[in-house]
Amino acid sequence: MSERVAVDLKVNGTTHRVSVPAMRTLMAVLRDDLGLTGTKNACDQGVCGSCTVLIDGAPARACLALAVALPGIAITTVEGLAQGDTLSPVQQAFLDAGAIQCGFCMPGMIIQATALLAENKRPSEDDIRHSISGNLCRCSGYTKVIEAISLAASRLTP
Amino acid sequence: MTETRFHAPERLEDAISLLSADEDARPLAGGQTLVAMLNADLLSPSQIISLHRIKALQGIERRADGSLRIGAMTTHAVLARSGDLRGAHRLLGEAAGRIGHEAIRNRGTIGGAVAHADPSADYPPVLVALEAVIEAVGPKGKRVIPAAEFFQGFLTTALNLGEIVSAIILPPSPAEACTHYEKFARVEGDFATLSVAVALWGGGVRIALGSVGPVPVRSAEAEAKLFAGQLSDGAIKEASAKLVAASDPIDDVRGSADYRRLLIPRLVKQAIRTAQAKDAR
Repeated sequence: MSERVAVDLKVNGTTHRVSVPAMRTLMAVLRDDLGLTGTKNACDQGVCGSCTVLIDGAPARACLALAVALPGIAITTVEGLAQGDTLSPVQQAFLDAGAIQCGFCMPGMIIQATALLAENKRPSEDDIRHSISGNLCRCSGYTKVIEAISLAASRLTP
Repeated sequence: MTETRFHAPERLEDAISLLSADEDARPLAGGQTLVAMLNADLLSPSQIISLHRIKALQGIERRADGSLRIGAMTTHAVLARSGDLRGAHRLLGEAAGRIGHEAIRNRGTIGGAVAHADPSADYPPVLVALEAVIEAVGPKGKRVIPAAEFFQGFLTTALNLGEIVSAIILPPSPAEACTHYEKFARVEGDFATLSVAVALWGGGVRIALGSVGPVPVRSAEAEAKLFAGQLSDGAIKEASAKLVAASDPIDDVRGSADYRRLLIPRLVKQAIRTAQAKDAR
């Protein structure tokens, strides 16, 4: 149990006033209070990367951030990437490259890749591998994910 | 059941008052360890005192004597790409870039990592090798503690009740120093099975090991051998034997104690040769 604290969370450009227990993680608030279930809950220890979101533009684990410590700070989840019905270039490339299997790790992978391409317009395969090294996929592998990120990079910076 | 209360004071004194009045209160820095421990039900603090609004804990400052004062809330990501780190200080940035993954480095702080004092973490051997000083603030005011005395055992430091790490101070370093942080881990982002922090310059060899004892391992005899033998293969072999003798590794999921002892000579040599290659560049 912990006391409830009112906090203004700025998620995907919209400010939500939520009243949450002090110990509730950003991941729990996103999923349970705001209904944004794209951010996945797996290890709860910051190891697997499936809850990766952007906090102030930088990838971060939503399971290791307390929501009450983030008032007014821009948070981007996978739901915030598409423009209406148009997927973001990274999302579209993941579809086109057939990178998606069960899909559970995908929101974290896509957020991480979005951050990579914002900083590094022409990442090498090694850059891509390093970038997603903190995002675990347990279906089979990473080859198509790497291809998808390369495809997105080539479309964004022809 | 008691409720966990949350505070985010702007003044350092207010954080210290809250922490020193309640031994079950915990300071929150970047949260990359604390929140993981909360999630695992390993801790149930009465209060969380977030330090993120306290300006006195932020920023990197080069002081007139050439020393560098790094505020406790500086993130690993900032250190990993900081242009403020020169000479031997670059060793700290090299280690910062090997902590966890990008998402962890963006949030985790040097003050939090140092206060946690995990023997397999990346900063402790670097701070011991560089003879850094830990600045702590508590109810009795500010004091400074040499890194070699700060780390006292597994997750155990010289901090007293109500004290927090406020800054890390790196002593002046010659610009020509070359460095290397060599980390051997099972997979990218894991804690080290063994790490070696090396800084070399004209008059000195500094070397410390992480993850082969409850605190970082440094050996004056090993450094004397390396200096006298001018970093020859023979000197590295003799120095490594001294470091093995000074180490006290355990068996754990990352490797057996015997395996870690076998790694020491190999990684020490690799670290020194890599540092030298950077010097020649």
